[in-house]
Amino acid sequence: MSSNRNYDFLIKLLLIGDSGVGKSCCLLRFSEDSFTPSFITTIGIDFKIRTIELDGKRVKLQIWDTAGQERFRTITTAYYRGAMGILLVYDVTDERSFNNIRTWFANVEQHATEGVNKILIGNKCDWEEKRAVSKEQGQALADELGIPFLEVSAKANINIEEAFFSLANDIKKRIIDTSSKEASGGSSGVNVADNSGSGSGGKCC
Amino acid sequence: MTSSTTPPVTDSSTSQTPSTSAVLTSIPRPSSPAGSYYAMSDDEEGDYNTITHASSGRGVKLLYTKSKVYIHPTPSAKDNIPGYIALLQQRHQHRDDRPSSRDSSSTPASSDLLLAWVPESQLGEAANLYVKVDLCDGDSPPKQSYLVPPPPTVTTHRGSVGPYAFAIPVSAVYSLLIRPPSVGWWWGSIIINSRAGDSFPALFFHDSECQSTILQKKKRTADTFDPFGDAGQMFWGGDEVLRWLKRYVQVERSGAEPNIYLVEPSREDSVAFGGKPTTSQQQQAGSSSRGPGGGPGARGEAGMDPFVKLIKEAGWNLMEKFSKVTTFTRQAANDVLDNPRVPPQMRRLLRNPEVQTLQDEFDSARIYLARWAMGIAEQSDRDRSRRTWTARDVMELEDTDVGEFELVDGANSLSLEERRRVLTLKEWKGFFDERTGRLSVTVDEVKERIFHGGLDPEDGVRKEAWLFLLGVYDWYSTADERKAQAASLRDAYIKLKGGWWERQVDLGGEGEEGEWWREQRNRIEKDVHRTDRNVPIFAGEDIPHPDPDSPFASTGTNVHMEQLKDMLLTYNEYNKGLGYVQGMSDLLAPIYAVLQDDALAFWAFQHFMDRMERNFLRDQSGMREQLLALDNLVRFMDPKLYAHLESADSTNFFFFFRMLLVWYKREFEWADVLRLWEALWTDYLSSGFHLFIALAILERHRDVIMTHLKHFDEVLKYVNELSTTIDLESTLIRAEALFQRFRRLIEAIDRKEHFPAPRRTLSTVSSSSASAALADAKRSSSKSPSPPLPARPQSGPRAASPPAAAATTKVNEGKTTAEEDKEENVEKIVTPALRKLLSREVEIIRAPVREGAGYPTRERA
Repeated sequence: MSSNRNYDFLIKLLLIGDSGVGKSCCLLRFSEDSFTPSFITTIGIDFKIRTIELDGKRVKLQIWDTAGQERFRTITTAYYRGAMGILLVYDVTDERSFNNIRTWFANVEQHATEGVNKILIGNKCDWEEKRAVSKEQGQALADELGIPFLEVSAKANINIEEAFFSLANDIKKRIIDTSSKEASGGSSGVNVADNSGSGSGGKCC
Repeated sequence: MTSSTTPPVTDSSTSQTPSTSAVLTSIPRPSSPAGSYYAMSDDEEGDYNTITHASSGRGVKLLYTKSKVYIHPTPSAKDNIPGYIALLQQRHQHRDDRPSSRDSSSTPASSDLLLAWVPESQLGEAANLYVKVDLCDGDSPPKQSYLVPPPPTVTTHRGSVGPYAFAIPVSAVYSLLIRPPSVGWWWGSIIINSRAGDSFPALFFHDSECQSTILQKKKRTADTFDPFGDAGQMFWGGDEVLRWLKRYVQVERSGAEPNIYLVEPSREDSVAFGGKPTTSQQQQAGSSSRGPGGGPGARGEAGMDPFVKLIKEAGWNLMEKFSKVTTFTRQAANDVLDNPRVPPQMRRLLRNPEVQTLQDEFDSARIYLARWAMGIAEQSDRDRSRRTWTARDVMELEDTDVGEFELVDGANSLSLEERRRVLTLKEWKGFFDERTGRLSVTVDEVKERIFHGGLDPEDGVRKEAWLFLLGVYDWYSTADERKAQAASLRDAYIKLKGGWWERQVDLGGEGEEGEWWREQRNRIEKDVHRTDRNVPIFAGEDIPHPDPDSPFASTGTNVHMEQLKDMLLTYNEYNKGLGYVQGMSDLLAPIYAVLQDDALAFWAFQHFMDRMERNFLRDQSGMREQLLALDNLVRFMDPKLYAHLESADSTNFFFFFRMLLVWYKREFEWADVLRLWEALWTDYLSSGFHLFIALAILERHRDVIMTHLKHFDEVLKYVNELSTTIDLESTLIRAEALFQRFRRLIEAIDRKEHFPAPRRTLSTVSSSSASAALADAKRSSSKSPSPPLPARPQSGPRAASPPAAAATTKVNEGKTTAEEDKEENVEKIVTPALRKLLSREVEIIRAPVREGAGYPTRERA
């Protein structure tokens, strides 16, 4: 059955950041291309799937969404381990959420797999009149942490695709491209499914 | 336009179409579309009422329309333009040109018909009419004729249509390229090809947003049980357009290009595109475009292939989408439901060899279909009749390995239906002494009624009864005592509220404590604005926000949201060791909405939080403990399922985290949450009854879980997506039956333990002897009927544990290793966690109050 898998690679991503910064909205925009202003708080953990194409390969993104409040940290950190990429999300209209990114980053360093790809995301960038964190501040923090940075808006659908694609691309480069140079080994936890031969039902368009 | 794509001149009336050179013909338009189109007058046909333009009488008749038909001018979704596709009828200026073949006086000529698209933004006042006609859902056009401003009529498309309306005479339409939703084309679409030889921009049918399509889908599935349309095709908006057109003109599906539908084709066209002889008889029939014996694929109204073919072709891509688009899944499930006959159908579908192959190939398809089938089954449960469930029904319906359910009613003289009768305000009042207002029956009698029947949602009995259930009022208080209690609680709330209200002046003050306060206030603010906003009292923003710095300052707020915020901030102060934690707003909202009194709601919430506090502890120990109890319970009751979950790395039961944290608030609809909570508050059978609800849900989905879910992420996703699909009443009955069985098993084990000889440290019994003992228990219980809970409460809301729990047996303290229980005939071990489930005593675990600080360590430090 696994030989018939309908994707070439499985990449697990994780969204973290303070509560209310819009993690679930970013995910909803990316996975379903929709937005709802009155979302509900995320309790526990959930994920959504979207399969994208990268360099002609089908990459299945499994994106985990977590509760933001610190109280649930003991639960959510359990999911850091399996993640290959982490989106650290803050809200550009909420300075506190920006300041807390360092804490989140430290958490990632502590609990996530070493070398996990990260990206800093400033959400709600369409809301200029409420902006409390400048793009420059965001960029400066990203530079300091040594990770890529994007301002996005789930509401206005700005840069959401770019954020997920660029992270997925970095991960693919880091793990898949390097590991496939070696023998076709699925080391480092990457779910590499050989789908080239089967082609059953995968033919589309 | 090239000659190769320009159709040959036909022998029908279509040669009479307006000149193709006229890009924009001069149909007169009213000067402003905002003119009134609502005045009633008589149409020149005089046989029905007409809404027409008051001044000019101009306008075109709106025959059919469908909303949420988009043009996608760019690849970016934000540029999509929503609009209406419509079939319009102009005045009969071309009456002479009527084709002889369709010589029916009631049928307009194709040149009088306009196929139009109008963006929502341009509807103006006509919007109401479009909405009305869209929702008409008749097989024929509305009796009343609705006149709307004519969109600019064109016969060919040049350049971009952009956000502009257009209408093309049907006689100028050569063909339609119709793509049902499928791979890469998530939205179904229609492209109009003109006789002038060019194509209009694709019109995308966003069916999931279109009310009329949703309704039509529902209706069809209710009528036919088949979600996929008559012949196994999935119904979608484009079907409707074809249906309208076929009422008036001949539409023929191309045999060679199944996505092409020829409009009033010439014989040559038919032959050229059909690839098969088309008899003149069929041409004249007009109403059917179905080719003779064209195979199942040719039978589709709008080219939607049979389901099996669809998913085969669509393959993983579509299935991915199915599985990822939660709302779609739910929608699909909802659409199909409404019909009790569905489950066998679905079962048959799932047994179809092709679908089985597909399920093997595509994980997401497999799970999607399984979930879907379960959703259908749930709905049919719900339909069977809301309040007449009996345990026998549940047993008959369900084939479970837990073993046969005990009959809940046992030897009770009351019929189950009688017991599950809703408790009304009138009956409630009858429980109290008229003079003193003191309860004149036992607490257990009242609790039994609430547990089984629930409180009447309409007559306001909840407002009263919840205060008892939550411990705000003492069960044996008099009316006067309650009055005094309410008054003092109101004072106390105002005092508490005043405490933080003062701090608000300096925004919580300086230092870490102030910082923490502000952070909590912001959190509460954000959460309240996303709590139960679909419930009427929390919907809407009709007052300005009091705080200009709030992120919601521009949106506004409403008085009930403000009350929620105040109560939560008060609780944040009141229980400093715990503070506000996400999920609490979910717990408060129903209480406030029912009681509609902020002070009493606060105290009711505070009592509720006593038992829920353990869910929010910083170290999550309370949640872990409950998940562990659930683990023990499943292992004890259903070792096979447990073994499967173990193999799927799912015995942490983390997929029940959300359900346990906020007591299924996210899993059931609002009305069901109220019913469930009041049942749980009674602690009638067990203070841990919420875990039996979890077990009941698992058992319900046992087959799907065991057959289809092989990994933790699959289990988590599946269980998360059960949200709002679970039928409450049957779940309650199943949970009760499971509890009774659980108790008898433990009793049997305990008996075994004491006789012949007690073991030293382990209270175990093999399941075979357990069932023998169980049989004994059954026999004896049928001889001496006894109510489920013989214990009568002495006083106070918390009754003593049932006698069964009083039997003291030493039990294995340690958590047993999972491997031991893989087989059916494993020893059943009564862990302390399990024994606790027999107790009706509510366990309260408080967050440690930190000395000195007055506030917990900062949430984020």
